[in-house]
Amino acid sequence: MAKAYTPGLLVTQHKKHRIMRRLPIAGEVRVQEGDQVSADNIVAETNLPGDVHPINLANQMSLPPADVVSCMLKKEGEPIALDEPLAQSKGLFGMFKTIVHSRFEGTVETVSPVTGQVIVRGAPLPVQVRAYISGKVVSVAPGEGCEIETDVAYVQGIFGVGGETHGTIRVVGTSHDQDLTPDLVTPDMEGCIVIGGARMTIEAIKKAQEIKVAAIISGGIDDQDLKQLLGYDLGVAITGREELGITVIVTEGFGEISMAERTFAMLHDFEGQDASVNGATQIRAGVMRPEIIVPLNSPPASDKNKKFEEGQLETGRQLRVIRDPWFGMIGTVSGLPTEPHVLGSGSKARVLEVTFPSGEKAIVPRANVELIEE
Amino acid sequence: MTKIDPDQIKVILATDCGSTTTKAILIQYVDGEYRQTHRGEAPTTVEKPFADVTMGVVNSVTEIGELAGRQLVGDDGRIITPATDTAGCDIYISTSSAGGGLQMMVAGVIAEMTAASAKRAALGAGSIVMDVIAANDGRRPHDQIQRIRDLRPDMILISGGTDGGTADKVVQISELVAPAKPQPRFGSDYSMPIIYAGNKDARDAVSEVFSEGGFDLQIVDNLRPVLERENLGPARDKIHDIFLEHVMAQAPGYDKLMGWTGAPIMPTPGAVGDILQTVARIQDINVVGVDIGGATTDVFSVFDKTFNRTVSANLGMSYSISNVCAEATMPNVLRWVPFDMNERELRNHVKNKMIRPTTIPQTKEALMFEQAVAREALRLAYKQHKEFATTLKGVQQQRTVGDTFSQQTSGQTIVNNMALDLLVASGGVLSHAPRMHQTAMMLIDAFEPEGVTMLAKDSIFMMPHLGVLSSVHAKAAEQVFDRDCLVYLGTSVCAAGQPKPGKLCFKYELTGDKTDSGEITGGEMSLLPLDQGETGTITLSPARGINLGEGPGKKVQRTVHGGTVGLILDGRGRPLALPEDRSSCQSTVQKWLNALEVYVEEAQAVGV
Amino acid sequence: MTRALVLLLALLVSLPSVTRGQVVTLAGPTDVFAEDVPDDIGGQVLVKWSLSSEDHLAADGSRPINGYAIYRKVVPSALALESGAEAAAGPGELGFADDFDYEANQPVGTVPYSVSQFLDENVEPDVAYMYGIAATGPGGTYSPVSSAAAPVIAKMEYINQGKLWFFIIMMIISIVIVYFVFYAKRGGKIKVRPIAGLEAVTEAVGRSTEMGKPVLFVPGILDINDIQTVAGITVLSNVARTAAQYDAELKVPTARSLVMTTARETVEAAYLGEGRPDAYNEDNIYYLTDEQFGYTAGVQGAMVREKPAACFYMGAFYAESLILAETANSIGAIQIAGTAMPSQLPFFVAACDYTLIGEEFFAASAYLSNDPEQLGSLKGQDLGKVIAAFLLILGCLLATLATVVPASKPIRVAELYIKNNVLGEDGLVPNELKIAVLDGELNRLMEADQDAQPAIQEGGN
Repeated sequence: MAKAYTPGLLVTQHKKHRIMRRLPIAGEVRVQEGDQVSADNIVAETNLPGDVHPINLANQMSLPPADVVSCMLKKEGEPIALDEPLAQSKGLFGMFKTIVHSRFEGTVETVSPVTGQVIVRGAPLPVQVRAYISGKVVSVAPGEGCEIETDVAYVQGIFGVGGETHGTIRVVGTSHDQDLTPDLVTPDMEGCIVIGGARMTIEAIKKAQEIKVAAIISGGIDDQDLKQLLGYDLGVAITGREELGITVIVTEGFGEISMAERTFAMLHDFEGQDASVNGATQIRAGVMRPEIIVPLNSPPASDKNKKFEEGQLETGRQLRVIRDPWFGMIGTVSGLPTEPHVLGSGSKARVLEVTFPSGEKAIVPRANVELIEE
Repeated sequence: MTKIDPDQIKVILATDCGSTTTKAILIQYVDGEYRQTHRGEAPTTVEKPFADVTMGVVNSVTEIGELAGRQLVGDDGRIITPATDTAGCDIYISTSSAGGGLQMMVAGVIAEMTAASAKRAALGAGSIVMDVIAANDGRRPHDQIQRIRDLRPDMILISGGTDGGTADKVVQISELVAPAKPQPRFGSDYSMPIIYAGNKDARDAVSEVFSEGGFDLQIVDNLRPVLERENLGPARDKIHDIFLEHVMAQAPGYDKLMGWTGAPIMPTPGAVGDILQTVARIQDINVVGVDIGGATTDVFSVFDKTFNRTVSANLGMSYSISNVCAEATMPNVLRWVPFDMNERELRNHVKNKMIRPTTIPQTKEALMFEQAVAREALRLAYKQHKEFATTLKGVQQQRTVGDTFSQQTSGQTIVNNMALDLLVASGGVLSHAPRMHQTAMMLIDAFEPEGVTMLAKDSIFMMPHLGVLSSVHAKAAEQVFDRDCLVYLGTSVCAAGQPKPGKLCFKYELTGDKTDSGEITGGEMSLLPLDQGETGTITLSPARGINLGEGPGKKVQRTVHGGTVGLILDGRGRPLALPEDRSSCQSTVQKWLNALEVYVEEAQAVGV
Repeated sequence: MTRALVLLLALLVSLPSVTRGQVVTLAGPTDVFAEDVPDDIGGQVLVKWSLSSEDHLAADGSRPINGYAIYRKVVPSALALESGAEAAAGPGELGFADDFDYEANQPVGTVPYSVSQFLDENVEPDVAYMYGIAATGPGGTYSPVSSAAAPVIAKMEYINQGKLWFFIIMMIISIVIVYFVFYAKRGGKIKVRPIAGLEAVTEAVGRSTEMGKPVLFVPGILDINDIQTVAGITVLSNVARTAAQYDAELKVPTARSLVMTTARETVEAAYLGEGRPDAYNEDNIYYLTDEQFGYTAGVQGAMVREKPAACFYMGAFYAESLILAETANSIGAIQIAGTAMPSQLPFFVAACDYTLIGEEFFAASAYLSNDPEQLGSLKGQDLGKVIAAFLLILGCLLATLATVVPASKPIRVAELYIKNNVLGEDGLVPNELKIAVLDGELNRLMEADQDAQPAIQEGGN
């Protein structure tokens, strides 16, 4: 095994990107194969069954559950409005009747003679699925969703919070190792995707949140800043459903760490272009990383010839160390010893030799590096 | 599947299809006993682009075949059974946790009673319980429905009511599940399996509720026929059946794999539970097993023949490491680390480990910190286990006037560290620690065993294989478990009670393969050499108020077994308390680590 | 018979003439002294005197003096102050005139012979009074009025010195209570020993839900004015909350109409608090009868018919305790009892699953509510109990020592101090009089001791 598989994050100038836009339950797909869609277009929609409200009529009318059915003023399947009479007891000699009014609006779904429970289902909740990226519909699964394909430049982040959004790319700061501070965020950035260099501060994020920036992207974030942003200490990296009004993506990790130079330069080139971003992260089996997608109007004529096979660890490849003591540093593979090494911690592991730009060499476990995909 | 004659089985092949790797082991009958002889490993091939689990199985088995010089896979790509002198195996068995294992939702009427029993049945069968719905779980019905909707379990287990007990509450729960229309996790083309194991009088009404809407309702015996007794067997078996018929059948390649095996495929954790139960039964001991993974920690226990399993979903060493630090709090983690660390940097490291879960500690400091986190994760998981492994609740008590001042509620934990005989560790951070001493120390610090307890670790995570084997050939499973599966670390002798620091805690006298005698003072730890295979008899005379197994102050005599670590004497007392003050805590912990030779070389490196 | 009647008639006729007779022949009492009663609101004056020289049995067995009449008159307070200050003016013009009219002036009180003091409880504060005492004899004979040496003014005191210890202990307990209330409010942890019986409420109610059977709550047979019933209702509130959460049916038969109303209010509030007003059914809380055994029979009937899975007995119980507990035991119910009736506790303990005993029962509300105020006061009361227990032990110890070494003055004084000052009403400073009495007693003991000394020494050697 001279080559080892060490997956890295994808950062590419061009790829054909295909995404499936799927409804949570069956519904209607609003586009056809071959349609051009833009990020905002609704491609499919459906109605989720409404909320369910159980009402215990037997107790409310002091009746045995079996008698509830005969007291119902509304039968199963009938619509009912708020405060409309739902059921009426027979009373004594036609007097002392109890009327129960519905506290919910919806449809009477079931009346149970066993529990005396009536279930009212509220109005259906419309669900709309948008295209998310501009592109061409390449296939349609009737009732389920569609696939959209387009040529994009693509950057995978390491971690993000917040869901799908899109906007215009605005690169702030001058270099990939400049912190993203509040003074760099200006009010004209509303709806934009703000891209900074190194660590973003909580003040910058808060300010961006205020002026309704769509997304804020940078190299790193401090754990305490994230905690302050979310309001809780994130325990498991499964995100994407936060309702912060802003999507936050870091490309490298936690702490003082600057964005990879190449990533920064690439995003810099796309200044002013529209992009789609998604902060959803899921680090479990079936890993999902946040993404920055820049649809390309004219794909580059030809892809650069790939020097290396994807995902293979070879001498000369660029990589990033992802664990201390050299956390965040970028270097090139200069040696791949086959025999396991005893680490400082005392464990034995397969290692590689990395040369940093300064010329310094280090032995690092293979598990602690990440390839930079080109 | 044909009837198996245990005496005819000489070659056993077992695989465990995990979510990332498929591990295969070969067990052979050598010189009158069963031994694990070879093992092989290959990446699991459930996901695309392979989408056929048997590829990984064949790869791993081929590797074994090469090592063993025995052809196990035929030219048709199938495993050869039965065995001939040079090829094939007598029986092939497998477990699986690929695709996230078996995920269930359970429901019951009262959270502490039938719902708890349902959870026990589901966990015992090896599933992950995503949520427990109960009439008294504090959620409003529409919240419960929303939750059911959001979950995508593989199956749902509904219980509730004793036989002849409440019917309408069970129907009410069913009426929550039915309109929520939960979708199964795999594919939309099969109907959601629902197991009903509640009040038998409510069967018709429940069937009525689930009659439409695409449910596959299966009815089994009530798992709590009376509150005083649990009957988990039928529900558990049904879970296994459905796991095979529905869930496995959806995963790519499993239909083929099922045709190959000589015993039903089991969920991995269920199999681990089975082997521990088998061992506890055959050796008549109390066992606790723990498997700490990246995302979850499983704790298994068998006390007085009662088996319990818990899954602490968010306590793990990589994906969930940040959650461990949040739940345990940083000061609690850091108390195990004998030097100062920058807390802000640490927090960032923890988060970086969470988002890059495959990295390994390179420096000793990083290792010590990771092992400190492991202690807290294990401690919390064991705490959850203790809270769950209880006697049944809602049981009538018989009293005499003598109980006036000593009334106890039912539902007390059955976990008794003093009665614990064997503590088995598995999972990366424990079984791959550079020194076994570290594993032993982590176990003692986290589980706080009392009295005389054997410590062991699962060498290559063989327990799942042996679990399935125990269902077809218990003897072979037990033999291999004892000889090849477990690596004995040694025996711990821990004093319960609160010994005074520096004062006598207990005296010991060791005879047998090694002889030694001496005193342990309060707060002191000591390591005596006692190698693998060696045994001895230890006589312990505890100080007043100190319990070593026979009651406070009572003399104890026990046989102790050696291991790779040795005989550990612990005079720190229970419950284990560390000094509040940071610097004295550091020096105390350092003293213990030195006494047990936990981090040998770095004693100089860090001690400065 | 007729003779007696005639005599009586004669007596009645002659009486007015005799009383009008006012014969001053007797010797009056001496050393009359009036003083304000200390530590009161200024409504009492204590008058003391020395008995008249004739206050004894005469040779013929008759008594020349029947008793004493106490007179008082208001004097200008300025004069009283002056004379009081100088104390030399003597009775003078403040005193009672020699021609004092015993008939026209009603005495403020009379006492029989041989009594030498009188407590006038009917005086106005800050008014100067002059007291005079006259001995009264048979046949309207009087002595001259002996005036007190000085007038007296009853003063209102703001602090009752005699109860200072009581005040101190109360203040300590109050401060501790307040401290713990604030401590609990700030999130401090107050540990309350787990009470198995209350912990088991959820279990019992849960059992009812699982078995589809009702929960039966018996709030005792006394009315709502009994503290045990009140404590029972507190527990009922918790049981009702649990029943609402667990969706169990709760039945409460009562023996008093007022208890029924209170129970209804309580249970309804509990159901509302849990957001389950729909699950509340008023008819489940009903009145049976005031008759002890009629009620018992009714509850027993309900038990046998409905087979509740959980029974609670919280309140005051008498002979019905075991009847109820045994019946419910026979139907397999979880039973939780709580009462402060010592005689019924053993029955409950033996027949029920859990029993709250006396104190536990009253502490239940603090325990259940976890409310900082209640927890704080529980803790404070505990301190009170600790102080009481400490004083009891100390007192017992000293009393024992005092009998063993009766001659030890420090022990005797300490015993006296605890008995009369801490527990009694002598205030902070030991009563000199009592110390003097003790001294006298000790002296006598010493003398006796000295007499016996040689013997003891011999015995000792």
